[in-house]
Amino acid sequence: MKFTAELAKTQGSIFNIQRFSIHDGPGARTAVFFKGCNLRCRWCHNPESIDFAPSLEFYPDKCIGCGACFAVCPVSAHIIRATGADEQAIHTIDRSKCTRCLKCVETCYAGALAGVGQTVTADYIVDNVKSEMPYYQHSGGGVTFSGGECMAQPDFLYAVLVGCKEAGIHTAVDTAGNLPWSHFERILDLCDMVLYDMKAASPKVHRAMTGVDNKLIIENLRKLCKLGKRIWIRIPYIPDFNDGEIPGIADILCEIEAEAREAGRKNAFERVELIPFHKLGASKYEALGIGDPTDGIKPPSDAEVARVVEYLRERGLDAYKS
Amino acid sequence: MLNTERTVLRPIYAERINGLHDDKMAINDFKLKTIGIGNFDFDDWGFVYFPDFKFEPIGTDKPYGYRYIGTNFRRFLEQMPKYVNRHSALGGAWIKPITDYMPIGWAPEDQPPEELRACWKKYDTYPGFGAMNHCAGDMTIGLKLGWGGLLEKIRYYRELNNPSDTAFYDCEEDVVLGTQAYVAGIAAEARRMAAEESDPLYKQNLLEIAQMNEWLIYNPPRTLREACQFIAHFQSIDRTYYVGGALDQLDEVLRPYYERDKAAGLIEDDEVVWYLASLFFNDTHYSQIAGLTPDGSRDMTSRMSFLILDAMHYLRIPINIALRVSDLVHPELLRRALEYILEDGTGVSFSLNKGIEEGYARNGYPIQLARQRIKVGCNWCAIPGREYPLQDVTRANMAMAFWHALQDIREGERSLEKLFERTCHHIKIIVDSIKEGYDLHYECAGRNRPEVVYNLFMHGCIERGLNCSEGGVDILNFNIDGIGLATVADSFAAIEQRVVNEGRLTWDKLFEILDANYEGYENERLMLKNISRFGAPDSPARKWALALRDFFVSTCKETGTPKYNLPIIPGLFSHGSIYEYGKRLPATPNGRKAGEPISHSSEPDPGFATGLNTFSPTLKATAVAETQPGYGNSAPLHLDIDADMLEKNGGIDALVALIHAHNHMGGTLINLNCLNERVLREAHEDPSKHPDLVVRVTGYSAFFASLSKAYRQQIIDRFLSKNG
Repeated sequence: MKFTAELAKTQGSIFNIQRFSIHDGPGARTAVFFKGCNLRCRWCHNPESIDFAPSLEFYPDKCIGCGACFAVCPVSAHIIRATGADEQAIHTIDRSKCTRCLKCVETCYAGALAGVGQTVTADYIVDNVKSEMPYYQHSGGGVTFSGGECMAQPDFLYAVLVGCKEAGIHTAVDTAGNLPWSHFERILDLCDMVLYDMKAASPKVHRAMTGVDNKLIIENLRKLCKLGKRIWIRIPYIPDFNDGEIPGIADILCEIEAEAREAGRKNAFERVELIPFHKLGASKYEALGIGDPTDGIKPPSDAEVARVVEYLRERGLDAYKS
Repeated sequence: MLNTERTVLRPIYAERINGLHDDKMAINDFKLKTIGIGNFDFDDWGFVYFPDFKFEPIGTDKPYGYRYIGTNFRRFLEQMPKYVNRHSALGGAWIKPITDYMPIGWAPEDQPPEELRACWKKYDTYPGFGAMNHCAGDMTIGLKLGWGGLLEKIRYYRELNNPSDTAFYDCEEDVVLGTQAYVAGIAAEARRMAAEESDPLYKQNLLEIAQMNEWLIYNPPRTLREACQFIAHFQSIDRTYYVGGALDQLDEVLRPYYERDKAAGLIEDDEVVWYLASLFFNDTHYSQIAGLTPDGSRDMTSRMSFLILDAMHYLRIPINIALRVSDLVHPELLRRALEYILEDGTGVSFSLNKGIEEGYARNGYPIQLARQRIKVGCNWCAIPGREYPLQDVTRANMAMAFWHALQDIREGERSLEKLFERTCHHIKIIVDSIKEGYDLHYECAGRNRPEVVYNLFMHGCIERGLNCSEGGVDILNFNIDGIGLATVADSFAAIEQRVVNEGRLTWDKLFEILDANYEGYENERLMLKNISRFGAPDSPARKWALALRDFFVSTCKETGTPKYNLPIIPGLFSHGSIYEYGKRLPATPNGRKAGEPISHSSEPDPGFATGLNTFSPTLKATAVAETQPGYGNSAPLHLDIDADMLEKNGGIDALVALIHAHNHMGGTLINLNCLNERVLREAHEDPSKHPDLVVRVTGYSAFFASLSKAYRQQIIDRFLSKNG
């Protein structure tokens, strides 16, 4: 497939390009984070990735009270008032009015307002990914398309994969798998490996935790394995939520592993990574002006993580802490 | 099969090396209390301070030249306190630069003319005229001859050449005689201490130090321990005279002694690690390990290279070793160096062969010679014993050139083109003034402040009776370092975006807010600062940085010096002086207020990556690789990596990849710290909480607690700018 001028102009929405990532597949990689997700995981530490539309982040401590945002806002969502004896300007945002046009962001040189999510073309992404080529060559790395749910922007994902493959770059797709199989079929030949999330074993628990059950997710995983695709499994580990699901997840993975071996393959999953919950998303919820659903969730201790990794290894899976 | 295992220390050597570490902490603490913080920003220098020692120089009415220096340096070496440490395998230490005890100046008739001085002052230029060594000796010259052999060599050539004025030879003779007296004094002090020592093992050690030094007064070293002792004495006299800091290819220099002693069954590896730790305890001279042989056929890594890493790791004090990386570098050596950096926070720097060697060859030297140009200074390289490569002694302040250009266009044509043209005009004036100063240096350095220590270790100086700066060696190069690249490039880009393209500011307004030093214009300052800055993908500053680099390099290279046509090698290196130069620079259009620091070497400023493209070490590395000056002098890349991140699987592999990629992209030097945010913050707040935290400032390492607040801030800014 050729990266035609038409494909190069395909547009998509992303919110971050993270170079030299060592947590998103083998080697040093460029992780491109697509905006928008079709799950609603209750522990999500990237809340800015959930909406497909742009988001507005607000960091009050950076605000210098210049009033520029107030002047350009077409719906008067910005409220600035002087308060206290020293007439200190207090800046708040009425989120119910905000349409996320982001005109205010362009006027905020102090960086108190930040737009999350930018529409870019496929060639913009491919050029950025290509600029890191020397680092891939010396590490066995490449690009990983992540999110959000990168497969929820199928045309854009297809275009950037074509461009990257044409440039000889190793490609990975990081997905939660809750998509029609046709989405996978479209990209399978362009994608060297898949990072695949397993959040729970029980459909009921999965629905409670993410808003959807996992029937389609497991079905797609089985199909991917049958095709012999290179797969790394990623298990988010949130003690209060899916601690009890780990044995069930291991059962499913072991079953698929057994099928792969029966079919004469070395394994189904090259690696299983446990991703411990962390609190780094808390400040993002605050900046987005939404309540933090992770409030009260405690990150697992190192000992707990080590215990689960050991358990997965005992089950015959090549497990690591991510 | 090369043994790559980590050395496991027997208790006796662990105890002695730990003793050296603790003694270093105590010595450092004493220095900080008596001399004060802020006096060790350049290096951690291993001197032992004797506050009661006094020295009376003679002939100070003319405090320069061979006679004055030779006579007084010899007397100083004879009289200085003799330090021996019972934990060390070696005796001796220097006590402070000799210039703290006697003046060394420059003859009035050899001073630069007033107009040249005025030019340097106008442009805040550090000119290099009259600067110290920045060359390296070939240690094998001294190791083969010993101090006695060096003395005979001086006397032989004095008689052979029979000059009418024998001052050069007499001075060199005084240096060696003084050194021999110093070595004899160390031997006597070790004997005295042995007599008082009650522990039989330490007593034995002190007696061995005494015997070794008694032998070395006249004779060349026979064993590895004696070779280390000889080098330690070189370090001490080199530092004392002119704060010199260059050593050699340490693993290769010591390898023959190691192999001989090992084959004879005289030593075990842990004992060797103790010798090396003792050498590093003695001083922080710069040396290199690994690197290609001159023909490029293989990497020189040996067991000595691994033992040097082990000694650094066990001693845990500032030590300046560079590992020369090529495609053929021993993979285990590179990994071990990184493992130790992860464990210890800092360690070796990584000197990269492609940019250094292929760059140096572009000056017209064969690549075989270029491969012998090794890293022996904080950012710089030299061919030991064969090159006088004066470098790291100039600062061509491009930011000040830019500021003068801004004043030029106030009343005339206000355009980016005109501004760039005037900036280049001023840069050329600076470069030409430094070249003119170098001609004077070439004429006068020998007869004013000769390199009396390095001359002994050079091929040609003694043979010709010439100081190395004036043709004692065959290869002379003079470096000019540009500084402030990102400050200027970002300033151009800010004007381009905010004034020319967007029209958010007029030129009048720009001058108004700069004149006001941004007072009352905070929003405008942020507007100018928060553009896509140098280092960020798609930044408009990139093309300005490249254009500035190209002009600076071509101006340096297009001609030699005006009088003697001495060759110039351009560099982009600021050392740690970004605060010092920033203090004197008015506000600039990149949102920088008057007095704030300028940018570092050819690096982007901290916090350059925002928006979609968040910070990554590779963004910074790519920017530094792209803006290398290209003729073999280093423009370093500083990476302060969060140790928590790299402890994860694949962390070291990723760093290996980054180092090799930077090498292939043309980079020259990587200075790496792996730091922990909590420790760093605590140490900045209260340095006494972490007195043994060692960091790599630029090409040199230092105790964090010894640095002034401004220098500590550099590390903090670099680290925290990417960690939010």
